[in-house]
Order: sequence, then structure tokens, then C-alpha cells
Amino acid sequence: MKFTFKPSPNYRDKQSTHSIMLELMIGLLVVFGFSVYYYFTEFGSQYGIRAIGLLATAMVAAFGTEAVWYAFSKKNVAKEIKNSFPAITATILTLMVSINTSYYALAIATIVAILFGKLVFGGFGQNIFNPAALGRAVIMASFAGSVAADFATGATPTAAYASAGWMSTSASAFDAFVANFGGMSNMFVGMYPGALGETSALVIILVGVYLAIRKVIDWRVPVVYVTTMFVLTFMVGAMHGQGLYYPLFHLLSGGALFGAVFMMTDPVTNPTSAAGRIIFAMGCAILTVVIRLKANLPEGVLYSILLMNMLTPAIERLTDGQQIKMMKKNLLTIGIVGVVGIASVAACSLGVTAKESTGSDAGTGESTEGGSSTDAPALALGNPVALDADFAKFDAQVESSEGGVYVVKVKGYGLIDPEGHAGESGIDYARNVFEVQINPETNEIMSIKNTTFGDTPGIGDKGVSEAYLETFVGLNTTDVTQEVDTVTSATWTSESVVAAIQAAINAVNE
Amino acid sequence: MSFIIGPMRKHVDGHKELTSHTDVVNLSPNTVAIPLVSGAMTADLLVKEGDKVKVGTKIAQCNGNFTIPMFSSVSGTVKGVQQIMHSWLKPVDHLVIENDQQYTFEAPFAPVDFEKASREELIEFTMNAGIVGCGGAGFPTYVKYKFAKDIQLLIINAVECEPYITADYKEMKAHVAELVLGTRALLKMSGAQVAKVAIKATKKDFIPTLQEAFKPYSNIEVVAVPDVYPMGWERTLVYELTKKRYEKLPSEVGCIVNNATTAISLAQALKEGKPIVEKIITVSGDGIKTPSNVKVPVGTTAHELVQTCGGYAAEDVLLIAGGPMMGKTITSDAFVIAPYSNALTVFVNKPVEAIACLRCGKCSDHCPAGLQPVRINNAAKVNNTALLEKLNYDACIECGMCSYICPSKIDVTEGIRRAKRYMALKKK
Repeated sequence: MKFTFKPSPNYRDKQSTHSIMLELMIGLLVVFGFSVYYYFTEFGSQYGIRAIGLLATAMVAAFGTEAVWYAFSKKNVAKEIKNSFPAITATILTLMVSINTSYYALAIATIVAILFGKLVFGGFGQNIFNPAALGRAVIMASFAGSVAADFATGATPTAAYASAGWMSTSASAFDAFVANFGGMSNMFVGMYPGALGETSALVIILVGVYLAIRKVIDWRVPVVYVTTMFVLTFMVGAMHGQGLYYPLFHLLSGGALFGAVFMMTDPVTNPTSAAGRIIFAMGCAILTVVIRLKANLPEGVLYSILLMNMLTPAIERLTDGQQIKMMKKNLLTIGIVGVVGIASVAACSLGVTAKESTGSDAGTGESTEGGSSTDAPALALGNPVALDADFAKFDAQVESSEGGVYVVKVKGYGLIDPEGHAGESGIDYARNVFEVQINPETNEIMSIKNTTFGDTPGIGDKGVSEAYLETFVGLNTTDVTQEVDTVTSATWTSESVVAAIQAAINAVNE
Repeated sequence: MSFIIGPMRKHVDGHKELTSHTDVVNLSPNTVAIPLVSGAMTADLLVKEGDKVKVGTKIAQCNGNFTIPMFSSVSGTVKGVQQIMHSWLKPVDHLVIENDQQYTFEAPFAPVDFEKASREELIEFTMNAGIVGCGGAGFPTYVKYKFAKDIQLLIINAVECEPYITADYKEMKAHVAELVLGTRALLKMSGAQVAKVAIKATKKDFIPTLQEAFKPYSNIEVVAVPDVYPMGWERTLVYELTKKRYEKLPSEVGCIVNNATTAISLAQALKEGKPIVEKIITVSGDGIKTPSNVKVPVGTTAHELVQTCGGYAAEDVLLIAGGPMMGKTITSDAFVIAPYSNALTVFVNKPVEAIACLRCGKCSDHCPAGLQPVRINNAAKVNNTALLEKLNYDACIECGMCSYICPSKIDVTEGIRRAKRYMALKKK
């Protein structure tokens, strides 16, 4: 008979770190599953397979990095990986990137996330930054251009609205803008392009509620984050005469809900006390709004998380003590953070204006001819491109040529064309259609018109504005090596103009 | 407020069904060994080897800060004093008595009609009857009442929040009249106007019986409390019933708390002049063949209890004096049942492997004392005394919640004990 000694208690809850991570993983896979479904149904199998390929890439990179690390540190690789949960980081990171991210960029980002985000800090539980957020920041900073061009899906609502300065001129302008993404109800359901896992508020909320009930994540973090963000953006909206749609759009767009449910709740990188986590979530919300309104970034969620990760040790110190005796102090701290947040966001929002019409008349497939630019902004020209450059990706086709007028159809950046022009690969591309008139004697461009606009309203329409198109009138097309300007921040659309001209020139030469 | 602080409690799977529906088994050992200590105090012996004793014969008395008399639990012959491992993990003197199996009773003190006695007389009676807190700590009951002032509420703790234990429940079921009498006597001793009998809401079958029994006394209310751990801890229970928190003693907020079995013991002393000589002990857990409640004389060894319950179910077990949360593992089954014992829990030894802390903060959310166990552990690892003081490590009652809840299976409670030991050494 053996009586073993063990310090009390000798009773353990069933929930283990492994069961927590397993349930979290299942939750993430549900979100991923939705994404795969979306790409399969809306863009075809090629896209769906690519989504799966991205996840596989991240998984291989994550597990590979850990295996090499633990092999070099002469540890039991299988055991260490079992207690290190690289799959979570890989999945979250994959869900934060868009479908056209290159495998190469994602692999490097995953390696950096695992290695510099976690392992060098001492492994699971020791890391300061959310590893997935760190990896995403790496892609944003270093691989912004490393995209697979074949997988263009069009601008995301977040990027589109960000370039409009996170503000609409009016409620109807907002309605017209958001209609391009299927309206607010589709923003909620999530059938629009964006980061793989960030689009469907519905799925994220359902998974989040489940995980909160199962005590996998702390409900306080997403609830406080969403509430704070709603209050702040409602205030900003009210200051600028925006309706209830304004705070809702802030919550539904970008990584707000995904970050709130899956990243801010990362226990390793948020504070351990309930009060601390509330302060953490409030800080994330405040920084998200400030970054969105003021910084030169489309999105604020990612950096708000990384910044608050950095402040976690400070929050821990602030809330140290016996919690029941700290309640007044903690409430006071929460109040101060709230007031500071409201004040700083209010200050930030003073200088915010809607930068341009956010698509009140564009993007519906109608002609923008003669109408669009009563309030056209000054064009920022740059990035010269040669007339004979390789524009194969635009797949420019001359549809008709009568009397020197060439009607050219080119691929748009990729909002789905409502009339369904199927491309060769079975993928629907929106089309930009141009009428290019070239004088056969002088080889000069006499006029160029955009008759159908298929790009992202609020962004692409700069590239078809009369101001820009006029720059081509009188251009002598004999020298195809000469360079012409494109429009900064509407590169695709303005290049499509050049591609159309190139196709027209080729038609003339034939 | 459970928004800026966690729930400070949690439902714990109690496994009470293992023993709550089976009959209480009687066990009559051939010898008993009565521990001659109470807390840090040792008792002065009043009998010698060869003396004949009866059930109720006063055999010793502690005369330290408190007075605690001790009584023989069987009739028979005193065999002498022997050092035996105590359930507090120290070898202490025990008085060994051979049982003649007659159970001849001799009342060591006269019964008292509490309605006629004064409050002071009742407190004196409680002292002489050796009534101690039966929740597990064994604190002499009379002390609480002697120094109690301005008490508005008496709380009878029938919660029994430790998993596996059903001894109080069985005791109450068998002695409803005594529970009523004891509660009324304690109410008089406390000077409070109102008493509340707190019992878990999940004891649906028994609550109506209690309500019926207390019906004639409009100032005594049976209150159903949530089935969470540690609902039976004084602070948690007082907060649940009054929404008030206190610094040191519940009397600060006008409350006094006693265990239900203590009330029953007092009633038996008042009615029959009978001190605590026998106990219902829950023997349960997956390491025991037939989990049961066993009625035994004080001084019965754990070994005999286990044998009565079919023996051990495995070769390597954790033998716990008390419940699995706060009870301590003992490396021998030779220790005996004291007047304040209520359970033996036996588990098959299944070691769990701890992994890295994921900083989830579940320990901080659920600590019933509102501490931050994870922070205390981390501060203890680097011997940060200033931070340990700030974290108020000393308020820990070692209820075990932090280790229980820890998903990484870290011995968090043990880490806090380490902090306490370190600070104790540091202060010397």
C-alpha cells in the first residue's frame, strides 16, 4: 500500500490549457470555414483552395520553426510543441491576411511571429506581444507589395473608407458607399472581400459567445472593447453629423470584432486581473479609433493590440493588490481611462473631414461620364509607367473600332460585376470600359472616356476622373517607350487606362 | 460586483451522490485513540493507565488560551498514552482506550433547559461541554460567543461546500429536531434577533423538511444558497447573505457563523448532557471500494474506516483527511478521527503534469479572498517581498480554488504557501 503525499488541493477542474486551446482552435476553424465557403462560392475553387493553401503554409512554417528551435535547444520536440500551441498563432495570422497575400510573405511572417514573437521570449506564456499580431505587422511593414496578382478581389470596405478619411459627407453618401459591399447587412454577414477571417461579424460573434460561455475567453474583453468603441465612434459621428451607421461601420469593418474576440483575449498578452483586462480592452478601443482617424494606416486594431500588449505589465502593476480592496481604485482608473479616451478621440476627430465623395454616384456600373467630379479632389500624379509596359494582367480587349474610336474593355480591380462578365478563368472581373479616339494621321489621342466603371468607388474613381483622363489628350502615341503618369492611390485604375490606350495603339498599328 | 472583479467562487463537481443516498454504516472499533491536542494546545490528562472509563467520562482538558474538555467516546479501560500521527501531519500524544463494546453512558454534565438559562450560563455550558466547530477547524464555539457584541444575524452553515462530503447532510437528516433546538440556543447565545440556516439550493429534497421544522420560529429562516465553492467559507457566506465584507471577524458586520453539526452537537449536550463522542464521517472518492457515511466513536483510526468501506481501490492512493480541496494528504492511515473531523477522501493517485502558466487569470477571478494568486506566485518566485505585501498574500486561507481552477495544472496554492513560509522566515 502506498500513500502518496501531495499538497492540497487534490482536486482539479476538468478544463485544461489543452482543452482551452482545442476549443479556441475549433472556433478559429469555424471562422476559417466561413472564409473558405465565401471564396469558393463567390470566386471559384481556385480562390477557396488558395485560402486552404495559406493556412497550410502558415501551419508548416509555425510547426517547422518550433521543431527547429526545440531541436536546437536539445529539448523533446514533440512534448514542447504539444505545450506550445503553434497552430493557434498560425491560424490567427492566416485569418488576418487577405487572399492575395503571397505564400512567401505569410511563411516569413509566421516564422517571425513564432520565433521573435514567442520563442525568444522563453516560449508559450512568456511572450509580451501577441505573436500573430506581430506577424501581421511584419507583413504590413515589409511585404505589402508581395501579393499574388491573380487573386485580386477588390478593395475592402475598410481600405476604401480609410482612404475617404473614415468619414462620409452624408448619410446617403454612406449608404451608396456601403451598398458596394452589399449594405450594412452584408457587412454583418461578411460576404465581402477582406482579411480571410475578419469579414463575418455574424460568425465571429457566434463563435465568441460560444467561447465565452465555455470560459475559453473572458467575455469582459470583447464586451468592453465593443462598448468603448461604440461610445467613442458614436461621439465622433455625432460631432460630424453622422448617424448610427457610423459607429456600426467602425465595429463591423476591419479587424475590430475579430481582434476583440480572438486577439485581445489572448491570456498570455493581456493582464491577469479582471480590472486589468477591462483597462486593456478600453485602451485597445481608444487606440483603434485614434489610429483609424489620424494615422496613415488603413486599420487601427492590429497596432492598438500591439501597443496595449506593451502596456500590459504596467496595467498589472497598477492593479496589483487584494482585488476586493482595490475596487474603488480600479473603478477610478477605468473612469480616468474613459475620460482620457473620450477627450483624445474628440480632439482627434476635430480635424477629420470626409476626404472625398465616397461613391455617391460611382460603382453601380453606370457611366460616370460628365457627372462625377463636382467636388473632384486634386489628383496626385506619380509612378510613371511606360506606354509599352506589360499590362497583361489587365487583359485589355478591343471590342470595336469605328472611325478611330476604339472601345476597350479592361479588367477592373475586382468588384464583382453585377452583369457577370465571366473571365477565362471562370472568375468574374468587373470591367472598366474606355472609348479611346486616336487620330490616325497624327497618331494623337483625341479623347478618352470611361463609359463603364468597375473599380472601387472612393478609390478607383480618381483614376477615371476627367482631370486625369484629360492628361492624355494630345498625347502622341508614336513613341511607345515614353512614360505617362498614373494616379497615386488609384494605381490599378489609372494603369488600366494606360492599358486601354496601349490596346488601342496596337489596334491602330494593325 | 463581478464586472471589475471575477465571480470569486465556482461550481465544483461535488460527487455527493456517491454517499448522499446510502445508509449510514455503524463502526465500533476495539480501541480508540483520542488526540490530546487542540490547535497548538496540549491537554492535561485526567485519567491514568488502567482506569475504567465510560462514554462521556472527562479524560483531559486543554487549559491554554481556551478551555476545551475532552471526553471518552467508548466505555472500557485506559491503555495509556501513545504518539500517533495526527491529521495535522504531526505526531502527537493520544490516549488509547480499549473498547468494551458496552457503550455505558455517563453524563459528564447535567442537561440544561436553554430557555431558562441566561446567555452567560449557556456560553459557560458550551465551554464545559467541549463543543468545537465541526466544519473542520475545531475552534471552540464558546469563544466566538463570549466576545461577540452587537450581533444582528446568526448564520447556521449547512452548506457543506467541500466536494464529496455529505456528513453534515446526513447528520442534519437524522437530527432535524436537534438542529432546531441548537439553532435556537445559539441564537439566544449570540444575542441576535434573526437566524438564517444556509443550505445549498441543490438539496431540494431536504429544504422543505427544514422549512417545515423551522416554521414555528418566525425569526429563523432557511435560505437556499448557490451550489458553489467555497460557499461555506464564512466570508463568502456572510457576503452572500448580507452583501457585506469584513476585515477580520464576521462580528464586525454583526454576524456570527456556526456549522449545522455544531448546532446539533450543542443540542445533544443541552438535551442529554452528551458531549461530542461520535461522528458521522464521509468516506468517499474513487480510491475507496464502497464510499459510505460511517458513524464512529471519536478516536477511531482511518484504517478501520477504510476497511469498513471495502478497503482501497488501488495500490497507490492519496489519503486525505477531510475533503479534496482543503484536506491534507496523510502518508499513513493510522491517524484517528477527532471531534471536528468529518471526512476521509481517498483518490487513486493519478499524477497530472503542470505546463507553463498561460496567465489566464482564472485564479485571480475565482479567489474567494479576492487575491491574485498568479501574481503572488510570480512575486514569490523572485522573492519580491514588497510586492508580496502589496498583494496581501497573508489573506489566503488556502481554500485550494486557485490550484483547482488552474488549466495549466500548476500548484498555485502551494506557491502561496511558499510565499507565506518565505515571508515568515524573512520577518524572524
